[in-house]
Amino acid sequence: MKRIAVDVMGGDQGPKAVIDGVLMAREELSDFTFVLYGNEDQMKAHLPENMKQIEIVHTTEEILGEDEPVKSIRQKKDASMVLAAKSVKNGENDALLSLGNTGALLASGIFIVGRIKGIERPALMPVLPVENSDKGLTLLDAGANASCKSKHMVQWAEMGSFYSQSIRHVENPRVALLNNGSEFDKGDELHQEVYQLLSDRPNINFIGNIEGNEVLQGKADVLVADGFSGNVMLKTLEGTASTIMGVLKENLLNNGLKVKVGAGLAKPAFKEISKQFDMAIYGGAVLMGAKAPVIKVHGRGDGRSIYYAFHQVDEMLKQDLVQQVKQAFDKK
Amino acid sequence: MNKEEIFDKIADLIADRFEVNKDKIGPELNFKTDLDADSIDFVEFVLEMEDTFSSEIPDEEAEKLTTVQQAVDYVYNNL
Repeated sequence: MKRIAVDVMGGDQGPKAVIDGVLMAREELSDFTFVLYGNEDQMKAHLPENMKQIEIVHTTEEILGEDEPVKSIRQKKDASMVLAAKSVKNGENDALLSLGNTGALLASGIFIVGRIKGIERPALMPVLPVENSDKGLTLLDAGANASCKSKHMVQWAEMGSFYSQSIRHVENPRVALLNNGSEFDKGDELHQEVYQLLSDRPNINFIGNIEGNEVLQGKADVLVADGFSGNVMLKTLEGTASTIMGVLKENLLNNGLKVKVGAGLAKPAFKEISKQFDMAIYGGAVLMGAKAPVIKVHGRGDGRSIYYAFHQVDEMLKQDLVQQVKQAFDKK
Repeated sequence: MNKEEIFDKIADLIADRFEVNKDKIGPELNFKTDLDADSIDFVEFVLEMEDTFSSEIPDEEAEKLTTVQQAVDYVYNNL
């Protein structure tokens, strides 16, 4: 049986989204036990009659979006996220999933679940949809570390390659470095150093720098970024996509009948685009380098995103990804 | 527990966490300047001290600990 600790308190929709996800996933994942940490009163209305594979751990505290990460996990000891993380640390559960405060989840992953020995800085790793590939682009770090050293980024390249290979089934993943130019001498000292270190690694298929405008073009399978740039890039992509979609919709609906009919005719193309750039199918962002799978699902995530995140955890546990990373870094 | 025993335990934690030779750990060793510890290293170290001495160190007290001697004195006086 695989046991997953789920913090149900953090998402925008509250426990409903998580429970929807559990109900969508439980038949397919028949070897899963979903252990839901949160306020039972708030969960009640959404729970099914048949509680097969579902356990509830009632908690009395909650980490809020505005809470300071490290302080909150140290002070709110009975918070759903903290207790769920502790259960993974103690070996009662195998993985942790939350939609809550990202900083607090990173702190729970690093300080409670713990780092794999040899991994100096875990990284936050989402997979982004790209053009012409269903394998996605594995990005790390998306913002777990505000500052970092070159040796950390080399470890992220290695961990990203593992993930891309084992979970996304990419053979010999192409690893690129996010930089402000394609030549080897572009960027600041840190990026030039990382470029050199990655070029010298025989176990990494390093293809060089890529710039922000190339990120979604499917040129790489793994993108290594310092946490600051990775976070800015990710948020910029999200914001741009949502702005364009909003403006497009408004113009298609408010420019007369002809445009409306045109929009109706173009509907299959829009559907195809939204299918290709569907973030949900890649699951949540993984805290790579933690001693167990720790998954962050977007606060706005719905049952469907959570369903895919459960499948992602299933794959990570099946492939024993954490053990693979442990073994690789133990040898060093 | 006397100060020497506390020092010994803290030195073990530091040697393991920061991969330094235990013999080179003295009371004046500074976490930030000598061990190059950033905030994540330091929080992990404080949590390990809490586990080792089975007690809690409030954040505002932890922030004041910059050398091994200060950590030893804090544990001796408070835990």
